[in-house]
Amino acid sequence: MNDFVIETKQLTKIYGEQTAVSKVNLHVKKGRIYGLLGRNGAGKTTIMKMILGLASITSGEVDVFGKNIKGREKRVYPRIGAIIETPGFYPNLTGTENLEIFAKLRGTAAPHAVKNALEIVGLPYKDKKLFSKYSLGMKQRLGIANAILHDPELLILDEPTNGLDPIGIAEVRDFIKELSAAQGKTILISSHILSEISLLADDIGIIDNGVLLEESSMRELEKKNRKYILLQVSDIPKTALILERQFHLTDYSVQDDHTLRLYDASLDMGEVNKVLFMQDITVMSSLVCNDTLEDYFKKITGGEGIA
Amino acid sequence: MLKLIETELMKLRRRKLLLILLLAALIMPFFAMLLFRYKGETGINPLEFYRWSAFGYTLFIILPVVLGSFCVILIYEEKRHDVAKQLWIVPISRMSYFFSKFFVVLFYSVVFMMITAIASAAFGMLPGYIGFDGNHILYLFERCLETGVITAFAILPVLSIATMTKGYILPSCITLIYALLGFFLMNTNMYLHPICSTAAIIMRDSDIPGLAFSQTINVPFALLCIAAWDIVFILLANIALKKK
Repeated sequence: MNDFVIETKQLTKIYGEQTAVSKVNLHVKKGRIYGLLGRNGAGKTTIMKMILGLASITSGEVDVFGKNIKGREKRVYPRIGAIIETPGFYPNLTGTENLEIFAKLRGTAAPHAVKNALEIVGLPYKDKKLFSKYSLGMKQRLGIANAILHDPELLILDEPTNGLDPIGIAEVRDFIKELSAAQGKTILISSHILSEISLLADDIGIIDNGVLLEESSMRELEKKNRKYILLQVSDIPKTALILERQFHLTDYSVQDDHTLRLYDASLDMGEVNKVLFMQDITVMSSLVCNDTLEDYFKKITGGEGIA
Repeated sequence: MLKLIETELMKLRRRKLLLILLLAALIMPFFAMLLFRYKGETGINPLEFYRWSAFGYTLFIILPVVLGSFCVILIYEEKRHDVAKQLWIVPISRMSYFFSKFFVVLFYSVVFMMITAIASAAFGMLPGYIGFDGNHILYLFERCLETGVITAFAILPVLSIATMTKGYILPSCITLIYALLGFFLMNTNMYLHPICSTAAIIMRDSDIPGLAFSQTINVPFALLCIAAWDIVFILLANIALKKK
């Protein structure tokens, strides 16, 4: 018995000729916040839908709470709260009325469940405003309230901060962190906003074009964001030759005509400068730098950055 | 199941269109009143009046079309507003969901026919075209109640089709075709189509003047016809809902 609340094995989804998700092995640990990061259309929502049984699985397996999920698994739904894409509710009803319907359907026993859920997300209880008049941010909050209404152990939140203003984003972030820290809830959250995931997640999965490129804890990822020395010199080929021959350095990259990145931060830069000077190479600058998470994302996806 | 039906009724709050659709229950009683006013007859046989106001086009066309539209609205609105996705992650069985919708259709159908019955009695008696007769009133309400219940079962295939399809155009067109087909098949074979069979059950005593059928009325055949269509379409709805 492992401590994964969600585990996918070689999870694949093919729509016609298009592979939306390819052989994804996801591991969401109990009590942790797992951030699924990827661009729009990377396959995040499809993975979440397959976990929830809202989309069929082409191949592979999904285990939730140790149970193999094949289609709609009613036994696990009481333990899961979810928002998938934009939350949908009845436009002719108020937020409270909408939640009362879902509370009844779920058989939520707690007498003040609706009121509590609305209070948590900062929406008024028994308000007369209809859902059709809600702003996108309010709709999103109501979606979150619906997800937490029945006090689930696992929350699956697909881009929950979409449409929220900066204050709303910060509030939701704090609230999600609190749910995990204080109540030990396991949270799988997806976003295309890197900063959002980096501020929230304990573990991170980077997905691109349906492929899970990286899965690690944020701590490990921070370690992986390698330190490097940014070296600006007058002659790149000659410098490279010297570094290889005299310092046996092969782990470097050429950034432009005058800039090198040396990935061995333990190099004695005093010695390097001295040798380069002796060889008539002008060292314009040498800086010790850290890659940002965005740089890392660019590097592993082999493309452009992410917001 | 009761909980599901309760939530289905909660969902109907502030749905003006559904209330407006109920006004269709007044169409035939009103036209019956106009007809007898035009004829200038008073003191006529109440069943003659009710034939026009409640057992004619209301039974064959108006109620099936209204119920069909109601089914389409019930299902399509949830798809349109993306609520279905939220519902599928709630631990309810998809067939319970389908049957809860059906019970709402049944309830709406009964309400519709009760309005028709009240309007028929009012539009007939208040202007004095028919006199007050307790037995005839009882007969009217009894048959209207039957019509409401049986037509809901007859329209279940439309609810099933609305569940199977994504949009609203196809099920709306099917509703019209289904209702008209029932109307036209009336003189061919009453046991082919659920709406014809509904009419056969309602007219089983052949006591409504002016209504004649080409076939002998066989209630078990009519019930069998409705049951057969319903079973087939319940199975199809089950398959479609499982695939979603």
